[in-house]
Amino acid sequence: MGLPKGTTERLRKIAGEKGVLTSPVDLLTYSYDGTTNWEAKPEVVVFPTTTDQVSEIMKLATQDVIPVTVRGAGTNVSGGSIPVLGGIVLCTTRMNRIIAINAANFSATAEVGVVLHDLNQELVKHRLFFPPDPQSFLAATLGGCVSENAGGPYAVKYGVFKHYLLGMRTVLPSGTIIDLGGKTMKNVTGYDLPQLICGSEGTLAVITQVTLRLLPLPQAHQTVLAVFDNVVTAGETVQRIFASGIMPAKIELMDNWLIQRIEEVTPLGLPLTAEAILLFELDGMSEAVKKETEGVVDCCKKTGAIDVRPARDANEAENFWTARRAGFSAIFGNAPTVLAEDVTVPINRIPELIGRIRRCARTYNLTIVIIGHAGDGNLHPAILTNRKDPAHYARAEKALDDIFAAALDLGGVLSGEHGIGLEKKRFLKQALPAEAIELLKEIKKVFDPKGILNPGKIW
Amino acid sequence: MEHLLLTAHHNGYSRAFNTLRSGQRVTEIQKNMDYLTSVDDASRCMKCGFCMSSCPVYGVDHMESHVARGRNLLIQWANKGEINTEGTYRDVLSFCILCGRCEATCPARISSATLAVQARARLVTQKGLNWTEQLVYRGILKHRSLVARLLGLATKIPGCSINEGKPLRHLADFASIFSRGLALPRLSSPFLSQRIPLRTLPLFGIQRRGEVAFFPGCGLEFFFADSGKDMVFALAEAGFEVVNPFGQTCCGLAVQSAGDLETATLMARKNIDVLSSFAAIVTGCATCSAALKRYGDLFSPKDPIREKARELSQKIYDFSEFLVRPGFNPRQITAFPLRVTYHDPCHLRWHQGIHDAPRKILHALEGVTFIEMKGADTCCGLGGSFGIKHREISLAIQAKKIEAIKKTNAQVVVTSCPGCLIQLMDGVRRHQLPIKVMHIAQLLGRETRGNVKQPLFF
Repeated sequence: MGLPKGTTERLRKIAGEKGVLTSPVDLLTYSYDGTTNWEAKPEVVVFPTTTDQVSEIMKLATQDVIPVTVRGAGTNVSGGSIPVLGGIVLCTTRMNRIIAINAANFSATAEVGVVLHDLNQELVKHRLFFPPDPQSFLAATLGGCVSENAGGPYAVKYGVFKHYLLGMRTVLPSGTIIDLGGKTMKNVTGYDLPQLICGSEGTLAVITQVTLRLLPLPQAHQTVLAVFDNVVTAGETVQRIFASGIMPAKIELMDNWLIQRIEEVTPLGLPLTAEAILLFELDGMSEAVKKETEGVVDCCKKTGAIDVRPARDANEAENFWTARRAGFSAIFGNAPTVLAEDVTVPINRIPELIGRIRRCARTYNLTIVIIGHAGDGNLHPAILTNRKDPAHYARAEKALDDIFAAALDLGGVLSGEHGIGLEKKRFLKQALPAEAIELLKEIKKVFDPKGILNPGKIW
Repeated sequence: MEHLLLTAHHNGYSRAFNTLRSGQRVTEIQKNMDYLTSVDDASRCMKCGFCMSSCPVYGVDHMESHVARGRNLLIQWANKGEINTEGTYRDVLSFCILCGRCEATCPARISSATLAVQARARLVTQKGLNWTEQLVYRGILKHRSLVARLLGLATKIPGCSINEGKPLRHLADFASIFSRGLALPRLSSPFLSQRIPLRTLPLFGIQRRGEVAFFPGCGLEFFFADSGKDMVFALAEAGFEVVNPFGQTCCGLAVQSAGDLETATLMARKNIDVLSSFAAIVTGCATCSAALKRYGDLFSPKDPIREKARELSQKIYDFSEFLVRPGFNPRQITAFPLRVTYHDPCHLRWHQGIHDAPRKILHALEGVTFIEMKGADTCCGLGGSFGIKHREISLAIQAKKIEAIKKTNAQVVVTSCPGCLIQLMDGVRRHQLPIKVMHIAQLLGRETRGNVKQPLFF
């Protein structure tokens, strides 16, 4: 590619001497994201600190038709923030001010570079709660989360980012600054543009500020751990709990492989032969949580859980969740390369999906660990492999294809919370009607006629 | 500075200059780096980016190359010869403050701080040291007696030192020209080893509990001798006979962190020689104990000294860790009423996993109200030469720390590392806070306890 002459100097004028990186070594560190498969180097990285600077950068890029890939912390796992055509990486990590926390209106406005964890820590001080919890929350920026429409364990009861998006300040590729949406919980004023931009993976506009809806912090929490000797029973239990009118905040599922690792690292006395664990979190008013806990315990016992343990106190609850995190870490400690996917199926099809994934593991002679959000149908089958072992890696990739096919077959989707990016591009045609893909492309043209924003993604 | 060196020369300090003349020399020692985690360790990085949440440097400049995820990838590429290791790469390595906090957050448990040191060592092996580094690491720091004599000369300069009981105006401000504005503490005069006997007996009337060797390290020896003395007395009060073994040298962490493993191993050998015969070795410097506890890693598995080093490491204690060993209970002792907060030195918290011990001691002091500050376990921003090399970032990290201290409304901030003391003292001065910065041993000392003679333990 090669940038037009003078681009870096002009960017320096906009963002300052320290706001522009050009050394090859620095550029390399913006060539990847949270995935293992993709690498592409930008030609320059720029760190704007204000919306006006973003606008100036976009004007420059449009004028000279330079690709711009917006990036937050780069923790995404879809290849979405990789600058496949080089050009400019616009890194938002220095736009990190929380502008306002409005406790009376249950809303917060923040710049997109604010890290989700930092926002949460601020909110707790006001006894406020922002539920979407992508597990990259320690590092992920709000901008990235909105662009990928991220979610996490809390999605069962509380939904994902799009459900909390009230408004945003955006910069179009032309450099025009527009405020979209507002601060109100209800808003039907023309097409819902913030919702369109949410989850668009940085292909339509650059978001610089977001206004998010908040909830009061739940009064009480209770964790329940249930052990099953059969994954199907675990799946049925989730159904039965919903049917009994209880909506847990989180329902996490872990398989036998993880149970064994947990027992190695943070022993909880789980039977090593157990097939699955479900980890529930209930939250709300203390009395309600108490009642719901009884209900969950009851359901688990009725469906045939071999062990049900409500956490005795906050400490034990923390131990349960630590075990889950340890299990998750173990996945990555046990293989040089891990392909962690996020296929999602209707919740009643989870047992079938698990069956198909296991068959896959046998067919290709692989270890595939299953960890996931059983309450919303979103599973993370993690294939343990090694990129440096071509034969093994090829088998892993084939298994991945089969898993995607299985998910679609069961009426599910390719991605529950990670996005398409580069990683799942080749499956898009299977997942969406051709007309829908055309529509996506038309919409893209309206926002970004020159196609400079995050080119090469989604389709 | 030049004047000092000239005097040194005339006084027969020719070793420093000989080192320079001998040119760049890479020995087997420097090449041996298997102590460090293998490069493969870095390849386990799953790029989750959690390290960003714990990195003090990233928290200021938000640059991917300055956080473990980015740096570890660059190190891998550099080792494969895929990137130019001059310029930016060297810079990137220097931007790691080596606090080790990211290692605790890392789901794959990658030893990122160690990897950074390893990469620096590899650069030293490949390209050698520049002349200032050679002079400082191999010419001066390697020779403790030379350091003592040079600093001893400096104490003669009015204002550069603080004599016992006679505070002078802070002329050390002058010296801060060399540290780019970091206020250096005044030198102690006389140095610690001249203030304490080779053997200090347990306090009269207290049951003898055994013998310990005291390793003051350069910080307490030359700059915070008062605290060192307090520490020796505290140990004596606790029933220990305290030996100050002759012939100790710098722990070596400063040169090791800079990648000069050769000098580090030489220093380690000397200390191993001097200390190995003792049953327990106590130090009041978090950096020293962190280094001493990992001496074994410096040597090749084939080298017999590796085993000896590991045995020594088992017997190393941080001061607070030693005082609260199982079976020991700090007695509730009376102190002046004070609001105290505590700063965790990275070398204690992250390199040794010591969190509770100093807090137990603080809780045991009657009269002392302990207030936990927010982010007590985040770096103060000094990180040895980092604080001078990357002044702006160091000050930004310092400002966050000072803000947290201020919010506790404490009168005293306590820590257990001379490096942190320097940085916190500088910060308190810079932000003009009426807060005293103290080594934890000083809090146990007579000054705060008002000469109340009470044994420290049941």
